[in-house]
Amino acid sequence: MVEFFIDGVPVQAERGQTVMQAAVASGHTIPYFCWHPQLSTPGNCRICMVEVEAEGGAWFDISCNMPVTAGMRVLTDSEKVRELRRDTMQMITLNHPVDCGICNKSGECMLQDHHFAYNGMPSLSRDPKQHATKFHDLSDRIMLDNERCIMCSRCVRFTAEVSKSNALGVQHRGDHSLIRCAADVNFDDDPYSDNVIDICPVGALLSRDLLDHARVWYLKATPSVCPGCERGCSINIWTRKTEWTLRSLDQRLNNRIDRITPLENPAVNGPWVCNKARDLAAIFERPRVTHPLVGGQETSVASAIEAAAALIAAARHPVALVSNWGSNEELAAFHATLAPSFQNFVKHDWQPQPGERLEDDVLIKADKNPNSYAARAIFPLLPSDASSAIPLSTDLVFVWGEGAPMHAIPESAQVVLLTSYALPENTRAHVVLPISIQTERAGHYTNFAGTSTGFSACGPAVATVSDAERLFERLFAAVSSVQAIMTAGVR
Amino acid sequence: MSGQRVFMDFPITATSHTLADYRARGGYEAIGKALREMQPEQVTKEVATAGVLGHGGAAFPAGRKWGVITLNDGQPHYLCMNADEGEPGTFKDRWLLEHTPHLLLEGMLLGAYALQARHTFVYIRGEFDLAYRRLADALEEAYAAGLFGEQILGTDFACDLVIYRGAGSYVCGEASAMLTSLEGKKGYPRNRPPRLTVAGLYQKPTVVNNVETIANVPYIVKHGSARFREIGTPKSPGTQLLSVSGHINTPGVYEVEYGYPFADFLANECGGMLRGATLKCVIPGGISTKVLTAADIMPITMDHQAFLAAGSQIGSQGMIIVAEGTCMVSLLQVMTRFYHHESCGQCTPCREGMGWLEKISNRIVAGRGAPSDIERLYQISRANDGTTICGLGDAAGYATVGILDKYREEFEYYIANGRSMYDGRVEVAV
Repeated sequence: MVEFFIDGVPVQAERGQTVMQAAVASGHTIPYFCWHPQLSTPGNCRICMVEVEAEGGAWFDISCNMPVTAGMRVLTDSEKVRELRRDTMQMITLNHPVDCGICNKSGECMLQDHHFAYNGMPSLSRDPKQHATKFHDLSDRIMLDNERCIMCSRCVRFTAEVSKSNALGVQHRGDHSLIRCAADVNFDDDPYSDNVIDICPVGALLSRDLLDHARVWYLKATPSVCPGCERGCSINIWTRKTEWTLRSLDQRLNNRIDRITPLENPAVNGPWVCNKARDLAAIFERPRVTHPLVGGQETSVASAIEAAAALIAAARHPVALVSNWGSNEELAAFHATLAPSFQNFVKHDWQPQPGERLEDDVLIKADKNPNSYAARAIFPLLPSDASSAIPLSTDLVFVWGEGAPMHAIPESAQVVLLTSYALPENTRAHVVLPISIQTERAGHYTNFAGTSTGFSACGPAVATVSDAERLFERLFAAVSSVQAIMTAGVR
Repeated sequence: MSGQRVFMDFPITATSHTLADYRARGGYEAIGKALREMQPEQVTKEVATAGVLGHGGAAFPAGRKWGVITLNDGQPHYLCMNADEGEPGTFKDRWLLEHTPHLLLEGMLLGAYALQARHTFVYIRGEFDLAYRRLADALEEAYAAGLFGEQILGTDFACDLVIYRGAGSYVCGEASAMLTSLEGKKGYPRNRPPRLTVAGLYQKPTVVNNVETIANVPYIVKHGSARFREIGTPKSPGTQLLSVSGHINTPGVYEVEYGYPFADFLANECGGMLRGATLKCVIPGGISTKVLTAADIMPITMDHQAFLAAGSQIGSQGMIIVAEGTCMVSLLQVMTRFYHHESCGQCTPCREGMGWLEKISNRIVAGRGAPSDIERLYQISRANDGTTICGLGDAAGYATVGILDKYREEFEYYIANGRSMYDGRVEVAV
């Protein structure tokens, strides 16, 4: 450890750390645009300039590239440093359009924050701004506004160092520089491309999906876990705040998932997620089953539970197919209640989609389900030849979640289905009980490495949709009472 | 007289650039001597004792730069010759490349021997055509003669040299940008630390020297540092190749000893002012150095100490002589246009500042200047002083401040009246 001083306060730094790293680790604030803890240090924005007091007179340099030496005295807020920052902010905003009023980044923009904190002056320039291309499609997902770009090169370094697609580069030079996609690379093929939107410190890189959907201050972030693969990346699911629900907006638009961003979690995903996580709305916002069905007819939850309990109690050779999208809590509840009544197997609710990247050494894992680790710790995996586990003698199959091999279920067997989505396979079930989805309940998933991460509910489910955990308890109670009656009848 | 010569000591003929002619005038004797009689450290020590200062612009002692490299540290070292001569007004390296390429190759061999660099590089300016062909031909001759490759002159010493042509970027003349470009990337300068002598080309210890600096080495090795120190002044030993242009009668490249008085240089080598015009000012070492007025420069000698004392630098030895009657506002406009065009766009103050400087000077020249513009030019220059990754931003700032300090009244006149104090014609003395 090396001791040095930031604004007179002693700070402990690791050997080899830069002043910026030590400052961030010790809670001191030095502004930055181009620096990013997970990327290399280009030192091009120059806003992190600090003063170092020394015997032969003070000197100035960028803190992101300044190795800590023992006893050095760094000033982050001296008069000269403030002046340098003001000058740099003048330069950064010189050709930036400052069109915050119509910019999607507004409200979470580093440039706005720094301008407010370190400059606050209108531009000193009397000359017209340099114009550049706007609405440039870097890919089908990402739009680039070159006028807002401050050439921090974070996106370029991300594709070179993290996603390794080397998709982005800088064209031209000077104040004509443009971020562009390489001619021989399609940025759509980079499954991590949307991270550049998050790390862009200004409103230059924007998500086509969120573009002009909502100001960020209308939205709230709910911490959650991506169910896209067994990595289980931590994410924020952004939905409209209740107080900003608008009557003039369609109910669907008031309740939709507006966007999904990574939630930094060093143990699992760092600050990144892949594009599949961004597109979870495509999974979660599929048509739902909202009412219980018995024999294809809508009914009440109570009568559907009654019908299902009767089937379970009467079954001689029942098999249960357990969901690996169930949370740890739900799996434990199933294990404690219904599991003893069945021969249990874990099925894969979700299979890799055509064209989807199966696995890489960044984040993406091959198993496209969030909780296989926890499910398989309790129950055996359904063999790939499903019919070997579901013999012809099976008279009841209890299916939890989607993706069950319906073709492998003997025609004579009854099916009780707990599902969230209105899928064609639902017609095979005698009883369908609607269950809540991840965004409507809280719980935990355990990822491939055994790390548990929690998720919270973004909002409530409709009244006729229950949490699976609650259904297991009610079914268990109902089955028990049916069995008690049957036992009494026999006696 | 301008004193002793290190480079221009032979008549230029149709064959004077060839290996045969170079050998005839004592060429490749220094490398023979070094390989036979000297250890690598001795070569470095000799260069350090000679006190030769870098000729690329910063005047850093070459021997000290070489001395930083640790020999036998188990990693490759690289030597790179900076022939990307792009500073406006400077064309002295071109003379060496065109007329005595073998001197440079011998210098590279000596450098490679001293630094234990197996691979050496010449990064040559893309616009240089004859210079490139002469150097490439010389290298071919040298390889054929066994002066490059394995077992040079029958010893274990091996060295290869690659000539790389730049693509026309000014900033690639900055050492770290040159190495980045040499690696095949966009020519962006790098932040220090690390220094290039620690992590340069391919992140290995690398020495980058100017063409003229390298050209001094064979002389030093052959004749000894003591003899070299007899030339020039005690603090600026040796000679300098001055490329001089502007309002003079005989522009060109001249070799003079350090310490040669400017007045003599102007009268003799330059042939006096063009058509008898009066000297207004001199941009002494490429446009990145501060301008010196006639009163500043006429009494001084041409060495580093005298120029520093006068408030400027020798820089890259590209001298531009400006006659009375020249509009300094227009001169600044030309200079800012150049810096704007050549800014690499990596770091903020230079990327935005250079364009801003040009916009302001364009507006003043168009007659739409505002009184606050002068203060703004100062502010942009100040914002670039020591805040950028490489020296381009600083240099533009120095040049701007240099002109503003000395000729502020011309700017005030231009802004107030919407036109220049001068009609654009060079004033000629009667």
